[in-house]
Amino acid sequence: MTKIKRRTFVGLAAATTTALSMPSIAFGALPRVVVIGGGAGGATAAKYIAKDSKGAIDVTLVEASKRYYTCFFSNLYLGDFRAYGSIGHNYYGLAVNHGVNMVHEWALSVNNAAKKVNLGSGESISYDKLVISPGIDLKFESVNGYSAEAQSKMPHAWKSGTQVQLLKNQVKGMKKGGTFVMVPPPNPYRCPPGPYERVSMIAHQFKKSNPTAKIVILDPKNKFSKQGLFMEGWQKHYPGMIEWISAETHGGIKKINAATMEFETDLDTFKADAASVVPAQRAGRIAMNAGVNKGDWCPIVPASMQAQADENIYVLGDASIAKSMPKSGFSANSQAKVAANHIRGSLTGSKVFTPRFANTCWSLVATNDGIKVGANYKATAEKIDKTSGFISKTGEDSNLRKATYEESIGWYSGITSDMFS
Amino acid sequence: MKSKLVLLSIVFSLIFTNSIFADQKQLVGADADYGEHLFGECVTCHNSTGLGQGIPKITGMKTNQFITKILAYKSKEKENAVMQMVAERLGEEEINSLALYLSKLK
Repeated sequence: MTKIKRRTFVGLAAATTTALSMPSIAFGALPRVVVIGGGAGGATAAKYIAKDSKGAIDVTLVEASKRYYTCFFSNLYLGDFRAYGSIGHNYYGLAVNHGVNMVHEWALSVNNAAKKVNLGSGESISYDKLVISPGIDLKFESVNGYSAEAQSKMPHAWKSGTQVQLLKNQVKGMKKGGTFVMVPPPNPYRCPPGPYERVSMIAHQFKKSNPTAKIVILDPKNKFSKQGLFMEGWQKHYPGMIEWISAETHGGIKKINAATMEFETDLDTFKADAASVVPAQRAGRIAMNAGVNKGDWCPIVPASMQAQADENIYVLGDASIAKSMPKSGFSANSQAKVAANHIRGSLTGSKVFTPRFANTCWSLVATNDGIKVGANYKATAEKIDKTSGFISKTGEDSNLRKATYEESIGWYSGITSDMFS
Repeated sequence: MKSKLVLLSIVFSLIFTNSIFADQKQLVGADADYGEHLFGECVTCHNSTGLGQGIPKITGMKTNQFITKILAYKSKEKENAVMQMVAERLGEEEINSLALYLSKLK
């Protein structure tokens, strides 16, 4: 009994000392960080703030899903290179290993003045610093005739999860010799090579079980990420199957009809037997509610990822204007570490290091044919500036392409471990 | 000129490090906290639990081995576009800090 009392006393004394060392925080309470969104940006930020502060910061992660399906590698599930279960992850590691408080609810609104996040349950959580990493919302209206209802016939499948399963079902069930129409989004959007890797994976499925099928890409752009590499790969692995039609060729998609599966353009009206339409995008709704957006996306301070509109809010990943970085899971993970270091520094006085950003995006064109593009970035006053980079070359040796694919598997294992364990 | 000097000093530091069996005190400019921070960049790809599937495991790597490999990527003697890019912006302080932190990892 006496021993327990002594331990209790020592514990209290330690806690009091810690609390007193925190500036501008209520007596006895730890500084509190709330993170909204448990993807590549949010999960990484929550983990690193909790891990590196070693208990000196109270971290809460607000994420509605208890199981998170990554958008990256969902194309590989479409191509049968991954099982669906292998792209799903839970948050046990963040809670057990790092003491992150998980709140599985929707964040409804942010009260910037009171520094509170209001939850779907009606409860609210106070913060000293708030991280918003909500990913994207879809602008259904950007494609005339597309809607939340039409997504059942023409899945966007741009937020992973059951939409990708639905798309796979429709690809596998498409009539023999039928036409698949893919509508990629206009810039800027999540995962620049994603629509073209998707086409590759669907072509891979067709080659196996529906070899006379055709794929038509009605692009709202005149060029796309890794274009030369994809075009070369399509010619090599799926000759005659894929037709890419640029905006200047088709003159714009005037209207789509989900009931008749028709796509009307200046060039022609295309009839699809199955389709995927990925509309234009914007930052997730909560970023708009917090008022940290300027138009569709959120301007940030490049050195810290703080929102330009509110120094107590950080915006990560797809929702931010982090140019010249692309909107990718790798970018979000990299930005999260910069923000975590800055937040910890501002709340506990720990050292803030010079921000370092990096990105690499791997894509799979066919079995053992992986390609990649990557860059280093540094913060300037105006933007996150590219300092160096690389891209796979056309005509590369097949052993190198196989190694690149294997590297992408290693990366998936690495980044998901970094995010969730 | 400056980059050559940095490279030269890293090479000297490597030779010295080798000769005294990687005594951590000789890792010029090394800071384990900085190393831990920089290591965050590594674990986006190198699984921190060390499974090593598709991308080699780096936890548990010997100091000499780590420095030799990074310098080989930096000089583009060793192939891999991602690692060459990573190594390109690591100076002596960064390499030695990472080496120190890695040597402390179990």
